[in-house]
Amino acid sequence: MDNKKYAFITEKDFKGLVTGLIKEYKVFGTIKKDGFPAFAGITSFDELELFQSPTHLSAKEFLFPQRETLLKFNIQNKTHEPVIESGEQVIIGMHSCDIHALTLMDRVFAAGTPDPNYLSRRAKTIIIGTECFPDKFCFCKSVGTMTVEEGFDIFLHKLKKGFLVRTGSVKGEEILSRLTKSRPAAFKEIKEVEALQKVKEGSFITTLDAPAEELPGIYEKSDNSPVWDRIGAICYGCGSCNHVCPTCYCFDIKDEVKANLKEGERVRVWDGCMVEDFAKVAGDHNFRGLRANRLKHRFNRKFRYLTGKFDALFCVGCGRCSRTCLVNINIAEITNELIREHNKK
Amino acid sequence: MNLYENIIKNNNHTETPSPYVPVMGTVERVTRVTEHERLFVIAPSNKELLNYCPGQFYMVGLPGYGEAPISITSGPGQEKEFEFCIRAVGNVTNALHRLRKGDTVFIRGPFGTGFNLEEMKGKDILFVAGGIGIVPMRSLIKAVLNDTKSYGRLSLIYGSRNPDDILYKEEFEEWKAKGLDMRLTVDKPHPTWKGNVGVVTTLIPKIEVDPARTIGVIIGPPVMYKFVILSFRDKKITDDKIFVSLERRMKCGVGKCGHCQINSSYVCQEGPVYRLKDLHSLPEAI
Ligand SMILES: Cc1cc2nc3c(=O)[nH]c(=O)nc-3n(C[C@H](O)[C@H](O)[C@H](O)COP(=O)(O)OP(=O)(O)OC[C@H]3O[C@@H](n4cnc5c(N)ncnc54)[C@H](O)[C@@H]3O)c2cc1C
Ligand code: SF4
Ligand code: SF4
Ligand code: FES
Repeated sequence: MDNKKYAFITEKDFKGLVTGLIKEYKVFGTIKKDGFPAFAGITSFDELELFQSPTHLSAKEFLFPQRETLLKFNIQNKTHEPVIESGEQVIIGMHSCDIHALTLMDRVFAAGTPDPNYLSRRAKTIIIGTECFPDKFCFCKSVGTMTVEEGFDIFLHKLKKGFLVRTGSVKGEEILSRLTKSRPAAFKEIKEVEALQKVKEGSFITTLDAPAEELPGIYEKSDNSPVWDRIGAICYGCGSCNHVCPTCYCFDIKDEVKANLKEGERVRVWDGCMVEDFAKVAGDHNFRGLRANRLKHRFNRKFRYLTGKFDALFCVGCGRCSRTCLVNINIAEITNELIREHNKK
Repeated sequence: MNLYENIIKNNNHTETPSPYVPVMGTVERVTRVTEHERLFVIAPSNKELLNYCPGQFYMVGLPGYGEAPISITSGPGQEKEFEFCIRAVGNVTNALHRLRKGDTVFIRGPFGTGFNLEEMKGKDILFVAGGIGIVPMRSLIKAVLNDTKSYGRLSLIYGSRNPDDILYKEEFEEWKAKGLDMRLTVDKPHPTWKGNVGVVTTLIPKIEVDPARTIGVIIGPPVMYKFVILSFRDKKITDDKIFVSLERRMKCGVGKCGHCQINSSYVCQEGPVYRLKDLHSLPEAI
């Protein structure tokens, strides 16, 4: 590891950094909510708690809110004004997989017709990543997202005492030097981070049984697998997996009219491909009426369809969909089953 | 510094136009075509919107109701106004049906791929339309009939549920006069109906096809494609010479919302017009 890229800050310096950020920005950080890690707005350092395992919901809602206004219209004046609801904000406590997910969202919303609503919010967001440790659902190691080199402004590696800090942007460097004092990392501190990395690498309970680059090809051959009907029979089509996934970005667009019936807003709200009506058109024709086909679609989006467009897997291995599923449909287990079927052929 | 720095952090997108802002259009004429369909002639306030080709579509909307994807039905090369034929089936389309001359409507587009007219030049074309599929087909038919010298034999098979549902009847004489061989069929005839009864595929065997020089175009309800494709195969028309236009649910039109996706393909971007051969890798398509 390159020791120039690391700086060291003490716990006290970290507190100073967070407190300084709270003074200047709207800050979201990880807190304990109903006993589980969650992202929430914080107004003092003491509310912040850094967690080793992922939050239940990802941080996508701060960049791609569950509901956001795209336009304000006035029916009487026949006007449509674009609305961009973005403000300076900081997110503290995103893990490596979450930051990878964010860089995928960046590519999606920047590609083709750029989406200024997402992109302006993204430009104004400071990301402070933190180191993590796998639970039994995490499989980032198998999809290449266990470590992260870009997409954040500051990344913190917790040591026994203090933190090693990496900066990933000019903004990150500026904040670090302005809001706290740091010194170059010592050799033994870097060794400590490397040792922690090794332990993390050896602690995965869930792994995929094929290299990441083979997954699109394996999924391509899986269209007729019996797996789909089997999990389709137990899935509720509730869409929770879409909801919690940091790379699910499908949306609906709706109009909301104010009580005066003159003004209103065109809003974008989260939608999910697992929900029954997602692909339904007039004449009661539903192109993915079967839950088996919707699951096949969602999994293929993660491992194959979007990979062809953006040259990256769209599953970052956070395990959130598996953790949340009421009927224990586990994306890593299903993928391993497809890998086994593929190897038998 | 890196990709993140360059494309994301250094541009706060205050200048990036919102792809969701529609252009105002004025309804110039409304014609009741059948019980369920109306033809709208609309003049967009921004003439750039008239730059379309047959097969493309627009998001047509009204504030308070939303937007619906609607195909262009006028021929290309319009200078002032364009035409949409809309069937009332739900929230947005019912609201659009209440529009009268002089009312305002809001439009985004054109979106998607159109038909490649260059590729059709010098060829015989066999058009097969079912139901409301004639709406986008009309734009293509008009383009071709404007320049019949450039094409070979032109045939249209058009199937409707019943004689009252047949769209664009009043234009048929003109189409025929320009050289289109037209064959109509209905599922449920009236006592006065003298034409063919049955699905569109019953008429395909009656058309003389030289597979080496024929292009097939199919637009209709989802159930129709499979059967027409089989009949085209009987006629030895290969999949690289067959074009289809597919309908899917659409919300954004700009390749983001995911509603229109067929396997890996976004219909609002790579469709709605596809070459049948390219659909082999998209098993959800047909
Ligand atoms: C590329 C393209 C081109 C098209 N061109 C034309 C055209 O030229 N002319 C034309 O008339 N139509 C065209 N259509 C079809 C048209 O877009 C739809 O009929 C229209 O979007 C319906 O919108 P709506 O708001 O009126 O109906 P909605 O209110 O959305 O409902 C329409 C129907 O869809 C189903 N549905 C929708 N939402 C739900 C839900 N939440 N739950 C359950 N069921 C639901 C129902 O069956 C309902 O009857 C085209 C579609 C595409 C994709
Ligand atoms: S969370 Fe589970 S039950 Fe719900 S839609 Fe996803 S796979 Fe189906
Ligand atoms: S598909 Fe599941 S495991 Fe993969 S990124 Fe989404 S929520 Fe995480
Ligand atoms: S209509 Fe939204 S992605 Fe195609």
